[in-house]
Amino acid sequence: MAKTIMIVDDSASMRQVVSIALKGAGYEVIEACDGKDALSKLTGVKIHLIVSDINMPVMDGITFVKAVKQLDHYKFTPIIMLTTEMEDDKKRAAKEAGAKAWVTKPFQPPILLAAIAKLVLP
Amino acid sequence: MSDMNPALETFSQEVDELLTAMEEALLGLEGAPDDADCINSIFRAMHTIKGSSGLFGFDDVVAFTHEAETVLDRVRNGERLIDAELISVLLACKDHTAQLIQHVLFNEGEPLPEALQQQNQALIVRLTGAPAAGGMPSTQEEKADHFEVDPNTSNSSDNWVISLAFKKDALRNGMDPLSFIRYLQTLGKIIEVIITMPALPRIEDMVPEDCYLNFKIAFNSSADKKTIEDVFEFAEDDCDIHILPPNSRQEHYVQLLANLPEDQVKRLGEMLVEIGALTEKEVANTLHEQREDDDAEAKPLGERLVEKNILQQPVIEQALKKQEAVKQKINKESNYIRVDAAKLGYLINLVGELVISGAAMRLMVDKHGLSDVDDVASTMSHLVEDIRDTALQLRMVQIGETFTRFQRVVHDVSKELGKQIQLQITGGESELDKTVVEKINDPLTHLVRNSLDHGIESPEVRVRAGKPEKGTIQLNAYHDSGRIVIQISDDGKGLDPERIVAKAIAKGLIKPDQVLSKSEIYSLIFEPGLSTKEEASNLSGRGVGMDVVKRNIEALRGSVSVDSELGQGTSVTIHLPLTLAIIDGFMVEAQQERYIIPLSMVEECVEMNSDEWQIDDVQHYVNLRGQVLPYLRLGDFFHNNKKHTRTQRESLVVVRFGEAKAGFVVDELHGENQTVIKPLGKLFENLDGIGGATVLGSGDVALILDVQGLIHHAKKRANPALALLSGV
Amino acid sequence: MTAKAKKNDGTVQLAIKDDMTIYNAESLKETLLGYFHPGTRELQLDLSAVTEIDSAGLQLLLLLKAEAQKRGFTLRLLRHSEAVIEVFELLKLGMYFGDPIVIPANWKKS
Repeated sequence: MAKTIMIVDDSASMRQVVSIALKGAGYEVIEACDGKDALSKLTGVKIHLIVSDINMPVMDGITFVKAVKQLDHYKFTPIIMLTTEMEDDKKRAAKEAGAKAWVTKPFQPPILLAAIAKLVLP
Repeated sequence: MSDMNPALETFSQEVDELLTAMEEALLGLEGAPDDADCINSIFRAMHTIKGSSGLFGFDDVVAFTHEAETVLDRVRNGERLIDAELISVLLACKDHTAQLIQHVLFNEGEPLPEALQQQNQALIVRLTGAPAAGGMPSTQEEKADHFEVDPNTSNSSDNWVISLAFKKDALRNGMDPLSFIRYLQTLGKIIEVIITMPALPRIEDMVPEDCYLNFKIAFNSSADKKTIEDVFEFAEDDCDIHILPPNSRQEHYVQLLANLPEDQVKRLGEMLVEIGALTEKEVANTLHEQREDDDAEAKPLGERLVEKNILQQPVIEQALKKQEAVKQKINKESNYIRVDAAKLGYLINLVGELVISGAAMRLMVDKHGLSDVDDVASTMSHLVEDIRDTALQLRMVQIGETFTRFQRVVHDVSKELGKQIQLQITGGESELDKTVVEKINDPLTHLVRNSLDHGIESPEVRVRAGKPEKGTIQLNAYHDSGRIVIQISDDGKGLDPERIVAKAIAKGLIKPDQVLSKSEIYSLIFEPGLSTKEEASNLSGRGVGMDVVKRNIEALRGSVSVDSELGQGTSVTIHLPLTLAIIDGFMVEAQQERYIIPLSMVEECVEMNSDEWQIDDVQHYVNLRGQVLPYLRLGDFFHNNKKHTRTQRESLVVVRFGEAKAGFVVDELHGENQTVIKPLGKLFENLDGIGGATVLGSGDVALILDVQGLIHHAKKRANPALALLSGV
Repeated sequence: MTAKAKKNDGTVQLAIKDDMTIYNAESLKETLLGYFHPGTRELQLDLSAVTEIDSAGLQLLLLLKAEAQKRGFTLRLLRHSEAVIEVFELLKLGMYFGDPIVIPANWKKS
């Protein structure tokens, strides 16, 4: 059974590239363009891992992570945050909110894939 | 086994406990054959020993305990009844297992001895009721099947041992241990896994969302430690991770450690990270724990690493050994400290002042006849003397480095000239003041190039002259009476006296009828404008060199002389003071004026007794024990216009410079005295016969005599013929 | 979530009709604990419908096994699903649970 990964990023191109890479590796992908959009899609589907950006309009990544941790059916989902080197404080905040893994931007798809594979193999 | 690795020690203890529990349970079964607790305890003993032995690659133990485990599993499932016979067999199995463990722990890698083999077989027969088909090989096979041991990786002692202790919240944080272990599989082969749940509470209190799992994984992989650690990158907050490298790595690490460059002392952690035995994370964590430990006797890093099963003892030992070796090496190297030359100069100046004020004190002590202070003053002046010597030593460097630099020059120039020349260096360890070394470099270069250019002939010429094809230039240095002597000699064509004389006459330096000694002729080459070669080479230039060389050397209170044998070679000898700062002086007085003669040049002092010595007052020489000695009255020399008044008693100070000797007539001898040379101002730079001045303790100024110059004067005044007799 | 059948000889048969993950581990544990009767001699778990099992689920199985040993009844795992087999293979747990594992013909892993 293929594992499903949700990618949350406001950049459509980013979602596209990551999505192609993930599908190529054998994952199912659900895309969302911000935290709110993502939350609305977290219902009735099995999600094995969430990859989320931090800086997003409407609902930022940290608020999103906090919200996920309140959802009965998704609260234990591993979350990889996409951070930049400069966002050390945000990284801390994301960690406290419940995201324990991260990938530093910019990255090549293989880097993200490797990080994901440690948490969920396809 | 004193060097048993800690994991093995733990294993050994664990086995002891398990076997003891097994024995108790077996004895308990005799009374109550159906006691499930007892049966479980026996099963657990065999099961756990099998698992741990697999981790360490103790295949014999695995094979045997597997048989016992299988039987016990059947007992547990009620498929086989426990009876007195089985209990006694299992007791024997327990003893046998202990023996097997002893064997593998203390005879690592050795096959089982015959007796144990037979016992092994016999017990298996008694356990299973039938001989294991084919004996040991079959159990091996079964074992291989069971553990899925790849034949290529069958050396299971060559496994990484990864210990993972997950924390309570790991699962809640989305860190599923299974995910990491799955990913681990992409890097190699999981050989064995032992799962323990040491913190598992009573079932009623167990929270399913909490994580109680601890894993010990035998992992076969060629990946490096960092890569394996990175698998658990995201788990590090939720898991205690220990990665113990396989034994083969251990040897690899020891090798790598031995090959580490020894250029700087590194901390233990740094070295181990560099060779990949340790990851930065492990170092950081272990150091952090070390800091956390309030214990006054915090354990060193190495000990902690071994204790925590992060690294094996031998690797740590090798690292510590290496560290010590590097430390010693660096220490040896760091015996040298780079000091700003200006600071050293200042120190030496201060020491100079100290010497002067020491002399002042001495004077006051003598003046006031303070006999009780005398001892103290003496001690102090000794100390000051030592300080002075030591301070000057600080600035002493070996001349070898200067000499060695000429190797390159000789090599390059001889090639350019089409000559074969070798440079021989001796006495490179002779020391002299750095300031002198710096200033001697130019004159030396000139002299060496002279030898290269004009001295050594081309190979053809040399062969025709019956000399070896290859010419030799020698640089030699040695100490002589407080001075350093540097010789530059070659086995070249030597100086031609006739040509020098001819040239000197042509230049008007000497008169055609003048009779000169050989050494006088040779010293003519130091006269300005005299070059022995008509055509100037681009290396040593036109004869402007030698007079400059001479001037430079004399500016250092040194002297230069040349000796040569036509067709045999030339030798230039340079005398230099060891230092320019302080000299041991000998103080004399003439015409109420004090003079310092460098002590090293004072041969002897005799009473100027007109009866005893045949004093020739006109020609200014004395016959000193049969030796003709030119002399100079210092009072007359420096106070030419003053009519000098003879004191009752005069002294003759016999001085020597190189080969030349002369006598200075003085009124009074004041004895030895440490003299700090204060250079004279520009105005007096060219004063004849004066090399410098010094301030006396009394505040008076004494002139330091330029002995070489004065000897020259003395000879001039004396009969020239006599002067020649005494050389130079 | 579970279907059960109780036999008279003290054997309880349960089919786990759900994933065994952290999301339902709590309720699963409560359910299973409910079958721990003094009279129970054997607890059989049908794992054929377990499409997903994670560490929390595995932890429960390990807990059950330990508890069964402690209380003196037999825990028998039946009809392991692919997901369960995969985990058992990964951690070499087959021997520990001691139950025969039937590997389906269309087993995806070699």
